[in-house]
Parts: sequence; structure tokens; C-alpha cells
Amino acid sequence: MSIPTLQGLQTALSGLVAEQTALDVTGSNIANANAEGYSRETALLQPNPPLAIPAISTLTGQGAQLGTGVGVANITRVRNDYLDAQYRAQNSALSAAATQAEVLQQAQSAFNEPSSAGIATRLSAFWSAWNSLAASPTSEAAKEGVVAAGEELTSALHALSGALSTVSSQSTEQFNALAGAGGQVEDYAKQIAQLNGQIKLSEEAGQQPNDMLDRRDLLLDKLSALANVAVTEQPDHTDTVSLGDAAKPLVEGTTVNWPQELTEAAGGQLGALLGLTGPKGALTGLQTGLDGVAETLAGTVNGLLVKPFFSGASAATLAVAVTAAEVQASGSKAPGGNEVAQAIAALRGGAAEQDYSTLIEKLGSDVQSAKNEQVNLQTTVTAINDQRQSVSGVSLDEEMTNLIGFQRGYQASARTLSAMDEMLETLIEHTGKVGL
Amino acid sequence: MTTERITPGMIAAATLNDLNSSFASMERTSEELSSGRTILEPSDNPYGASRVIDLQSQLDGLSAYEANTQDGMAWENTASSAMSSMRTVVERVRELLVQSANGANNQSDLSSVAVEVEQLTEGVKQDANTQYAGQYVFSGTLTTTAPYQQGANDEYQGNAETVSRAVGPGASVTISTNISTLLGNGEASGDGKLLDTLRTIAVDLRGGTAEDVAALGTSDLTKLDANIETLSQLQATAGSATDQLQTALSRNEGLQSSITTSLTNTQDTNVAATSVAYSDEQAAYSAALRAAATIVQESLLNFLH
Repeated sequence: MSIPTLQGLQTALSGLVAEQTALDVTGSNIANANAEGYSRETALLQPNPPLAIPAISTLTGQGAQLGTGVGVANITRVRNDYLDAQYRAQNSALSAAATQAEVLQQAQSAFNEPSSAGIATRLSAFWSAWNSLAASPTSEAAKEGVVAAGEELTSALHALSGALSTVSSQSTEQFNALAGAGGQVEDYAKQIAQLNGQIKLSEEAGQQPNDMLDRRDLLLDKLSALANVAVTEQPDHTDTVSLGDAAKPLVEGTTVNWPQELTEAAGGQLGALLGLTGPKGALTGLQTGLDGVAETLAGTVNGLLVKPFFSGASAATLAVAVTAAEVQASGSKAPGGNEVAQAIAALRGGAAEQDYSTLIEKLGSDVQSAKNEQVNLQTTVTAINDQRQSVSGVSLDEEMTNLIGFQRGYQASARTLSAMDEMLETLIEHTGKVGL
Repeated sequence: MTTERITPGMIAAATLNDLNSSFASMERTSEELSSGRTILEPSDNPYGASRVIDLQSQLDGLSAYEANTQDGMAWENTASSAMSSMRTVVERVRELLVQSANGANNQSDLSSVAVEVEQLTEGVKQDANTQYAGQYVFSGTLTTTAPYQQGANDEYQGNAETVSRAVGPGASVTISTNISTLLGNGEASGDGKLLDTLRTIAVDLRGGTAEDVAALGTSDLTKLDANIETLSQLQATAGSATDQLQTALSRNEGLQSSITTSLTNTQDTNVAATSVAYSDEQAAYSAALRAAATIVQESLLNFLH
């Protein structure tokens, strides 16, 4: 039976090294406490293989195993992949709702209702102008008033239609800037592909590349705001990333397949932008609805007149087609006749106005539901992120507690070393000096 | 692990989130208070917003009808006072007629009465040419043409069309008076209307024969009385139009007040309730600020040496 004389020193040393490593990891966690996407790391300490002593007992001859200290098995990051997948799915939905709310809000501001400067007020003023003409059918001023009110109304319709087109074209531009060649999607994809390559190399070398994994996860989080993201981890530790409803994976190993075709089913900001501007999208619906109002207005007013008052049949093209002198209050030649002016004034509250107020109601509820959805999803995303933070976030209190533990462990290991040293000193310095 | 780990990052994020949302709701309430309106854009209350638009348009419509009604009343007042003036003239003529018919007047007296009757005839035509806001009120829809020319031509120049004012949805009141039913087209037409009667009286006064004098007291007086009856009818019609306008005006005012109330209820801020909500939100916000300032600072670090 024998235990190597210097074994105790080795054991104490292993303790010093392990505690020091754990302290370093703690230090790194503290340093990264506020780094975006950082997952806290832990040094996994494991007992070293024991020393087998065949017959430790002189009485029974039984053997035993003696611990030889501790080693650092690995430095792992604390992360829950399942929460990541959940976070990304909800983040895509949140980003879609936020985009929708933002763009529709812009459209809503363009309508500027209810106010004294919106289309509704102009429309009302237009009917009032016809009413004034009915009261004084021979008045040149009243005729001028009808033409002026008509022109104010058409110019307000032009401005609104133009503003809606601008919102729509800006959405398309934004989509192209994000999803086009050299856009954000491609930029993220390239970084992910590069990290895939580096992670594969590190893993092959038997190292766990925690920081690179964190960076890749952060990029995937950001990508999930742009469109739905599906991530499959391959056996070689590279991530295959699918984006939205693109036919081929966006990233496969170190290969990037982009640009690809997306539809509004892609989800996220990109899907929302496509959906809003698409043929069935809300922006298109608003433009069509406004054109309908203009067409109904022109149709109902012109239908009561011999010489059409309005030309054009869409919000962008509607124009006053007559001069003040050509405005007729009556179908007859009699200057005091006013039946036409009365009939037009009586169109107040008619189809054009009802269509417009329905359009406003529809727009209002679209914006409202997009905002509500955004708020609800924000709550969900915050909750999931809290769960992720709860698992992966750095708690300074915890790190400080660990710091104390590891520091004390290091001190105790050092004390063990001193004890060993003293023991050996007795052996080396004092043995064979009996009686001296 | 027995309890969920809470990290300072989580607390900071949650605190910031709470601060933001409580600040946002305070800002919203303050905007409602300062603008005085609860519906600032359609998404605040989609149905309410479209209702505000509808109510506002109805209200504009009512004020247009109100203007029409007041305009109609002014027109009727002009026409009525012209007809009152005609009535004074016609009654003066009747007085002269009765005096002239008693046979006690010599020819020179009768001739001077004829001159007065001719002047009064011109006066009636002038009354018929009364204008309101540049429009002849007795010309039918030919409002830029005087209904009668001064001088010998007694022919009616207007038409028989009616002028009306819309006083409410689907409701309109006729404000024109067809004066030709009273005045007619003069002696040449022999229609027995007022101008014909007046011209005949003047002729009879100048004629000086016994038949002429007799006609003054008989056929002329009968015709004049019939004309006075027509005038009374026209005045009554005008009076009833004024009544209709008056009724429309008061109904309009009632409607305006009830729609204004609806509009106020839909879009205006309830200042008392909103002010209370605002001070609640302020209290919540300052509590959130205090919490953020104290709780997040605490850490194990404060106690380690």
C-alpha cells in the first residue's frame, strides 16, 4: 500500500487551479453583465479520477479509492434553446404588428380626421356652398363659392391620395432596403454563415465556443424581427436557418442563399410590409375606398347636372370641370330657378359621405386592432424574455456570492498546500535528527 | 434551484417598461384635457369617429337649412310689406271710388281723382317691383326681370314658376307669390284683375257720361272688391308661408341642440373625470419613479467589504 508522497500537493494544486478558473469565469460574467445577448457561463468542476489503492487496510487487506482533487470539465453557457425558439416566434409576430400599427398610423395621420381640415369638413362645406347658391341662384359670388368649395375638396382628395401613395411607396422601399441585395437580411445571413464556420472549427477542436454561440443567437433574434425564423442545429453544430416562406434555407452551413422571393406569409416586418401594400392590403384598401368616395361624389353630383361639375373618377384625378359662370342652379333658363342646387345640397349625408365615414371607421378599427395586438404581443415577448433572462442573465448578487465561494475555496486550497508543505518540512528537515 | 432567478437586467427592463407605460398614459390623458376631446384620431374610437363625422355634417346641414329659412323669412317679409302697401293704395282707390260715385262731383273733380288713381296705379306697380337682395320677389323665377314696367305697358313680365327654400331634409316652403293673379295684364287684356280695374276706373272717371259715373259705383266697385279679396288671399298665403318658416326654424333649433349634445357626448372630454384620472396617473408615475430610484440601486455589493 502506498500513496505518493507528493500527491497531496497535486490535489491542493488542482483545487487552486479549479477555483481560479471558476473565479475567472465569474469575473467574465460580471464584466459582461450588461452585454447584449450574453449568456452567463459556469465552470463545470468535476472530481479527478481517483487513485486506486489496492490494500489500504492492513487489517482486512481491503482496497480503497483516494480522491485526487478537482478539474474543470468544461465552461458551458447556461441557455434554454426552447425559450429561444419561442422568443423568436413571438418576436416575429410582434414586429409584424408593430410595423402594421406604425404604417397604418401614418395613413391615419394623413386622413387627419376628425378635424376641421379633413375631407369630411370639405365635403360638408361643398354641400353648404350649393345650398347658398340655392338661396341666391343669381349671385355670382355664390357660384364662385361652389367652384371654390369644389376645388378645395378635390385638392384635399388629391393631397390625401398622394399621401397614401407615399406611405405605400415608402413601405415598398423599406421592404427593398431590408430584403434586397446587400440589405439587412443578407448582412445578418452572412454573419451567421461566418459564425457557423468558426463554430464548426472550434467544436471540432473540442472547444465549446460560448461567445460565438451567443453572437449567433443574437443575430437569429434580430433576424426574427424581420421575418419568421426556423433554426435547425446540424450534427456539426452549424445552424440551418429558414426565413419566412423563402423556398431555400437562408443559411446552410457557410452558404447564404439570398435574395429570394418572399410573400406576406413570411411574417415579421417584411411580411407585414408586403401584406400592407399587397392587392388585398390595408393601404391598397384605403386607396380603393377613397377612389370609391370620389367616384360616388362625381357620379351623384354630375347625375343631377346637364354639364358635369366634376371630371375624373378617382381621388387623384377628380377635378372641377366648370367655371363659375357655367355653374347652373337650375335646369331652366330662369335666373331664379334653384331646383338643381337644392337637389345637390340635399346630397349631404348621402352615399359619398357614408362611404367616407365607413372608410374612417374601418381605418380606425384597423389601427386600433394593430395597436392592441402590438401591446399584447409586447407583453408576451417581455414575459418570454424575462424567462430567458432568468435562465441566462447575469445576476450580480449571484456572481458576488459565487465570487466569495470561489475565493474562499482558493484560500482553503492554499491552506491545504501549506499544511502539506509543513508536513513535508517535518519529514525532510527534521527526520534523522533525533537527539541532535 | 427553488426560486426563479431574478437578474438586475430584468428589474431594470421591467422598471423602464412600467415607467414608459405610465408616462404614456399620463401623456394621453393630458392631451385629452388640453384638446378637450376624447377622439383625437379614428383609432381612439372608430365608431365614435365616424359618428362625429356624421353628426358634424348633419349639424352643418341644419345650419344651412337655418340660413335658408331665415333668408325665406326675410323674402316673405319684403313681399308682405309690399302687399300691405298695395292694400293701402287699393283701399284709398276704393274710398275715392265711393266718393266719386255719389253723383255730386263735377267733371273737373272727377278728372283730378282720375289723376290720383293713375298715380296710385303706378304706385301699385312700383310695389310689385319690390326687390329682396337684388331679386324681384314677384317675378316667379325670372328674378332678374322686373314684373311690371313703369308707364302704359301693364303686361306681367315674370313667369308662373315658384321659388322655394329647403328648410329641412326633404322639406321645402314656397316663398314666391304669383302677383299676376292679383295684378293681371292691364286694360288691354280685359282680365278684370287689379291693373285692368284701376285703368277702367280712371277711364270712367275721365269719361264724364252718366253711364261712366254709374259704372264707378257698380261694376268698377264690384271688380275692385273682388281684387281686394284676391289680395287678402295672397296676403294670407304669404302669412302662412311665414308661419311654416317659423315652425321650421324652431324645429331646426331643437334638432341643432340635440345633435350638438350628441356630438359633445361623443367627442368631448369629461373634464372632471379626466382630471381625476390624470391626478391618479401622476401619483402612479411618481411612485414608479421613486421605486426606480431606490430599488434598482440595491445590490449585494452595497454590503460586501
